[in-house]
Amino acid sequence: MTQTKKPKPGAKDAKSNSTIWWIVGGVVGLGLIVALAMSIAGEEPVDASIGYGEPTVTGDPLPVYAAGQEDVSVGLTAPTVEGADWEGNPVTIEPDGTPKILVFLAHWCPHCQAEVPVIQDWVNDGNLPDDVELISVATSTDRLRPNWPPQTWLEEAGWTAPVIMDDQIGIVAGNYGMAGTPFYVVLDGDNTNLGRVSGEIGTAGLDQLVALAQSGGG
Amino acid sequence: MSAETILVFNNLFAILTLVALGGAIGLLVYRAVKGPEAATLFGDKAIWLAFAVALVATVGSLLYSEAFHYVPCRLCWFQRIAMYPLTIVLLVGAIRREAVVRFYGLPLALIGLAISIYHNFVQFFPSLEGGSCDPAVPCSARSIEMFGFMDLPFMAGVGFIVIAVLLAFYTKASE
Repeated sequence: MTQTKKPKPGAKDAKSNSTIWWIVGGVVGLGLIVALAMSIAGEEPVDASIGYGEPTVTGDPLPVYAAGQEDVSVGLTAPTVEGADWEGNPVTIEPDGTPKILVFLAHWCPHCQAEVPVIQDWVNDGNLPDDVELISVATSTDRLRPNWPPQTWLEEAGWTAPVIMDDQIGIVAGNYGMAGTPFYVVLDGDNTNLGRVSGEIGTAGLDQLVALAQSGGG
Repeated sequence: MSAETILVFNNLFAILTLVALGGAIGLLVYRAVKGPEAATLFGDKAIWLAFAVALVATVGSLLYSEAFHYVPCRLCWFQRIAMYPLTIVLLVGAIRREAVVRFYGLPLALIGLAISIYHNFVQFFPSLEGGSCDPAVPCSARSIEMFGFMDLPFMAGVGFIVIAVLLAFYTKASE
């Protein structure tokens, strides 16, 4: 005759109670975390327009830049841009007779964060000649990404080049065929594209862009 | 979805990550102090907890891509490939109470953890993934930054760590 082993009295109740306490503890803990998350984020809504401008672009867009391939846009006339910096001071990219180096920067991009102090030191050391203008475009701005807003970042970096604040769709970057940041475009005095390059280029690269701008592409 | 709502979820997942990381460290310390008997702490609930972690990570991942419209980068996709199946594998293992589930779960968790570590490394040393940022989905740039250091791959990495630790505890408890 076989005997079945009876469970100890109360064992099932103890297990049931344990499960209930696990559930109660989990729900209470999650509730506290949600409350904490809401209290941390419960600040006043931020002005959604911060970090953006309202530039106007006229002219035909340059094709999208493709690294490692021949840039078919060299020799094409780049669009004219009328924009402003974060304080509303007008900044333009136009055929005014002065060769230009444009640099497109995104506040959240670690390569831009690394390149900005390099460029600024290079400028401070007097490497940017008077006959070449350096203009920056703050683009791809996103409030939810780190290092926002771009103006705070650039001010803290002591950035001295004029800045055009791109709009929410990145109209300036799009019209210049930007495919990555940082992104450089060299223009002659007639706004003709002499060359484009994407990525960190350092001081040696900046010197090459200056030489290209001064040579007029010749 | 408003930016304020997304910020609430950023905070929520960031705090959950810190709590989970603290819990995993606590478990390892408890194991070191108590020895093998520490495995009885959770019993077979360890696998349910591991499933809960995988579920929260999977739902969070889908929330960010489908509701908040963050496009996953290449390395994010590799981590998803490791995390998503864990949800199913651990659920089935928990329901069937099969200790063998650790043989399916642990490799996925450890592979996912390795990718997360590399992804975090890339964010600290961006030149590992080239010299420029793809404006849409750069692996080297942080999508969010909580507490000054925490991004989504860090959260995923903690998820993989917690799952691996819980699976190790489950293993001991079942033997």
